[in-house]
Amino acid sequence: MNPEFERNVWLELTSRRVLLMVGLLALIFAASALANDDWGPSSVATGLYYVLVVIWGSRSAALSVVGEIGARTWDSQRLSSLGAGTMMWGKLFGATIYNWFGGAICLAVILVHEVIKGGASVAVLDLFYYVGIGVISQAAALLASLIAIGRGQGHSRFEVFAYQLVGLGAGVAVWWVWDKVRSHTVDTILWWGQPLDASAFLLGSLLIFAAWTLIGCYREMRLELKMRNGPLVWLAFLVFIGVYVAGFDAWLSPDMKTWDAGSLRLLLAGPTYGVLTYMMVLLEPKDRVHYRWMEGQIRHGHVANALNGVQSWMMSYAGTVVIGGLLFFWLLHDVRAALVGQPLVLAALGFLTRDVSLFVLMQTLPGKRRGDFGALAILFALYALIPWILTSLNATSLLFLFFPQLPSPTFVGAVAAWVQGIAVAGFALTRLALTEKGQPVPA
Amino acid sequence: MIEVEDLVYEYPTARALKGVSLTVPDQTITALVGPNGAGKTTLLRCLAALEDPYSGKVIIDGRDTTHSPREIHARMGYLPDFYGLYDDLTVRRCLTYAARSHSIAAAATPEAVAKAAQRVGLADRMESKAGELSRGLRQRLAIGQSIVHEPQVLLLDEPAAGLDPQARRDLSALLIALRDGGMTLVVSSHILAELEDYCTEMIIIENGLIAGGKAIKVRDDDRPRYLIELATARSDLKDFLIAHGADVSEADQNHAVIVFTRNQAARAKLVRDLVTAGFDIASFGESSKALEGAYFAQVGHKA
Repeated sequence: MNPEFERNVWLELTSRRVLLMVGLLALIFAASALANDDWGPSSVATGLYYVLVVIWGSRSAALSVVGEIGARTWDSQRLSSLGAGTMMWGKLFGATIYNWFGGAICLAVILVHEVIKGGASVAVLDLFYYVGIGVISQAAALLASLIAIGRGQGHSRFEVFAYQLVGLGAGVAVWWVWDKVRSHTVDTILWWGQPLDASAFLLGSLLIFAAWTLIGCYREMRLELKMRNGPLVWLAFLVFIGVYVAGFDAWLSPDMKTWDAGSLRLLLAGPTYGVLTYMMVLLEPKDRVHYRWMEGQIRHGHVANALNGVQSWMMSYAGTVVIGGLLFFWLLHDVRAALVGQPLVLAALGFLTRDVSLFVLMQTLPGKRRGDFGALAILFALYALIPWILTSLNATSLLFLFFPQLPSPTFVGAVAAWVQGIAVAGFALTRLALTEKGQPVPA
Repeated sequence: MIEVEDLVYEYPTARALKGVSLTVPDQTITALVGPNGAGKTTLLRCLAALEDPYSGKVIIDGRDTTHSPREIHARMGYLPDFYGLYDDLTVRRCLTYAARSHSIAAAATPEAVAKAAQRVGLADRMESKAGELSRGLRQRLAIGQSIVHEPQVLLLDEPAAGLDPQARRDLSALLIALRDGGMTLVVSSHILAELEDYCTEMIIIENGLIAGGKAIKVRDDDRPRYLIELATARSDLKDFLIAHGADVSEADQNHAVIVFTRNQAARAKLVRDLVTAGFDIASFGESSKALEGAYFAQVGHKA
């Protein structure tokens, strides 16, 4: 048996807790069966399943590593010889074993009801759904907690609640997809121009995203165990998400129907990569020492070493620039679209450069633990507050300084964005160097 | 067993280790000492492959911590300064988990657990919960978890902190037994007295560097340290001792600490020469504070 899972079973499934769970659930089901109202045992079991496995289970998963850090046992675990996969599965199903134990009792009640009401095939589908929503929500909470640990964040109740919320968000997404599948509100989905069965597509998407979530957990666990990840898996994810999102070109606004399919697909993939860049630059640790190390590796010609240290936000940024460049050149054979699209693409890339540099820069300033909040506050001011003031003052002609616009002449917007981007990036780079008592320390 | 080459470790705004190089020989107990904040724990965590060095290498049993951290973890035991235990598990289950998580096969685990419990003196408390043990016994359990897989290297960070005198004495005996059983131990502490009983080598970390540039041999059975005290002050004591083949660690007009051969005839001759030369000897004996003497000889009296 997986040692980590076994240890969790020892701690979680004590005879007292098992008896308590069985007794409580038995009483609740008996009460719901005896009460002649709309809440039969099946409905109660469904509600309890969500509470035990999704809500409480997400919390248990979020605490599976964070709790070890709080108890000062994590270093000992990191020094074990357990592989990242063994540790991840042991945590994911071990820390939540009590939730699954209660959930299994509820699930038995639900499935018996489904078999009687709808037959075995419905019950099998329900089993698939209920186990899926539990695993996905718990895996998402675990992933969020591991990312936070990588950022060096603490383990306060509020933070654990935030990781739990991520798990609940994933659970809601699964529930939404399942609701669409069961209610048959959408029969077909147009993807890459092909009409696909909506149920199969949604369930397939769910499975694939669940797999990516688990891969994410595995990779974060590897980092915790001091193993290096390399860039390939994130690159594979970027390719996947780019292809996946680009397939929804038929869903874009009718106003854009004059654009050809290639432009529309690049237009979908580019912002998706941009969003991923923002997300990852916010989530990943922006460690000056690591950046200095990368610079040193490149300077000494150890490019492969440096590539192994490339972070996901950097790859996402590069992906955004590549897609933006492709879109820029693709638009060349559509003059009307190019007039609007090309300046906006260039300006968007400039502002993206400015914004990611801002996140890095804020980590190099005193009080860096709040650096991300500082960066978010500045971006809020740049994208919302100042434009709001300018609009109130009827100075909308200056908005191009703050987000992609089409001023006259149009290239001025792109120039303004890139000047800001290069300036902030340059300043951030100068702040990465090590200084002690104001003096640079020779390498 | 442990080779460190030009190890640099950086925090964002400070360099904690500034090019540390050292060698820890097999089957020794090496003290890692220095003032608070000198970089002891950082160095220990780098040795344990828990932190990535900025540059330089840490080689444990021929494996680089950067390239093979998990292989090193499998061969290493580490007792952090705050040893977390699972309070609700019994001693047997704590040790069983430690054994299984270090890749000991299920069939071999009971024997490994029994052996570890025996070594740390917990064989009669196997069914006690960790949370019910005294501090000294909890520390023994933590060490038991660290050695259940028979590691070649055992790192201990402030292992005697908070222990009573009896528990400290037991700890000394245990560490010496582990060394005699073939392990290489590195013990970090800033309390020299607790290291005195069992350390053979000493590495002094000061301001991110190794004072003196290398490990110091503090306990040499062939050439121990002796303390000479004079009843009447003599300014030429140090020169006289050097001239007679002693390595002088520290000396003033009233006393000297020397490293000298254990050979009885040679020692008798030195005492005779001192008396003949008119030195008014109040005492001559093996120094009981070898480590402390070596420490202050290296770093001076500023600590």
